[in-house]
Amino acid sequence: MRTRTRYLPIEDAQEGMTLAEAVKDKYQRSLLPAHSVLTAENVQQLQAHEVEFVCVTFTDARSPEEIANHTAEMAHAVMDIFRDADLDQPTTAALFNQVLIYRSA
Amino acid sequence: MPSTITESNVLASRDALPAFPRVVLQILETIDDPDASLPLLTRQVETDAVLAARVLSLANRASHGGRQAVSDVFTALSLVGMARVREMAITMHLADFMDAVFPLQKLESFWSHSLACAVCGVEVAHFTPVEVSIEASLIACLMHDVGQLWLYRFEPQGMQSARAQAEADGVEIDTMERRLFGIDHGTIGSWLAASWGLSPSICKAIAHHHTPDAGLPEPLVAVAHLAEILSNALNLTHDRHNRVRSISTASCKRLQIDWGPQSQSLFGRIEARSRHVFNPFAPELNAPH
Repeated sequence: MRTRTRYLPIEDAQEGMTLAEAVKDKYQRSLLPAHSVLTAENVQQLQAHEVEFVCVTFTDARSPEEIANHTAEMAHAVMDIFRDADLDQPTTAALFNQVLIYRSA
Repeated sequence: MPSTITESNVLASRDALPAFPRVVLQILETIDDPDASLPLLTRQVETDAVLAARVLSLANRASHGGRQAVSDVFTALSLVGMARVREMAITMHLADFMDAVFPLQKLESFWSHSLACAVCGVEVAHFTPVEVSIEASLIACLMHDVGQLWLYRFEPQGMQSARAQAEADGVEIDTMERRLFGIDHGTIGSWLAASWGLSPSICKAIAHHHTPDAGLPEPLVAVAHLAEILSNALNLTHDRHNRVRSISTASCKRLQIDWGPQSQSLFGRIEARSRHVFNPFAPELNAPH
């Protein structure tokens, strides 16, 4: 089964998700190490520590067709945003490519 | 045909505007001086009922599991963190100020865009290896389009034509403003910001967020420019008008950011933080009504 790694606002973090990156507090102290599996209790604790987002890995339950549709839809949206951009300009092209990769993930 | 706008026109309008929130300037002045910064911030929070309630609420959530409720501002500040409270104070005071200065229907979408840029600017400031003040990035990005609000208030018809014509010709709004008014909203905003006592680097960032190469090597200019571009590229405000036409290579070089695979974490952090900030129950959101 495919997995996805996403940054999620803390409100969307759910029990069972696995941390892809350690969570740190405002003093850069580690609150939870990478690869921890979130529990309802530690999601609450992270919220209490004012953590705003977490980076998690979770199973991608989408079918290959759903993934393909999503990728096509996202690519269309990104191309629309960049439709007036000069993609021969290397910096603009590099940004465009990274946004495309990000949206297609 | 709208007439050319001059600095004296803009500054003359200041009499019609409320005073800039002094607390924002004080926060910037004392940022590198913890001895002055903590008492100032404590005083500010203590004398602002809304801010005090928010900070105490955050502190009590942070001390979840503690034996006693936090009821004094000093303890609350140490629990929530000064940087966080500074960001809240700046955002709240600037939101109220914009609301008082420009009571326009457009303010809500303006403020959404400003908040989105502020999220991008703060994350870019954290991401770049170049030293940039987080608070100055926050203020510059929250205020980068203040000149546009001035135009909507004092040149409403001219500004509507500029917007329509820019859309029809497929050019950036600042280009059309220069054609119609002889000046763009960046310059107008920087005149206002300077008159309100904001630092030269913030004024420069406001002036050149669309024309960054003219404002470099000031890193805050590059931050404001990239914030605007990323807010549009990631379509954080879900606005069909969001477009990216070009990005300044010199700004990216100034901040030592190349758009390689490491950009993915920057985008992820920006988007997650943006969704958190735009959550109606998030404490930071204080958009003008």
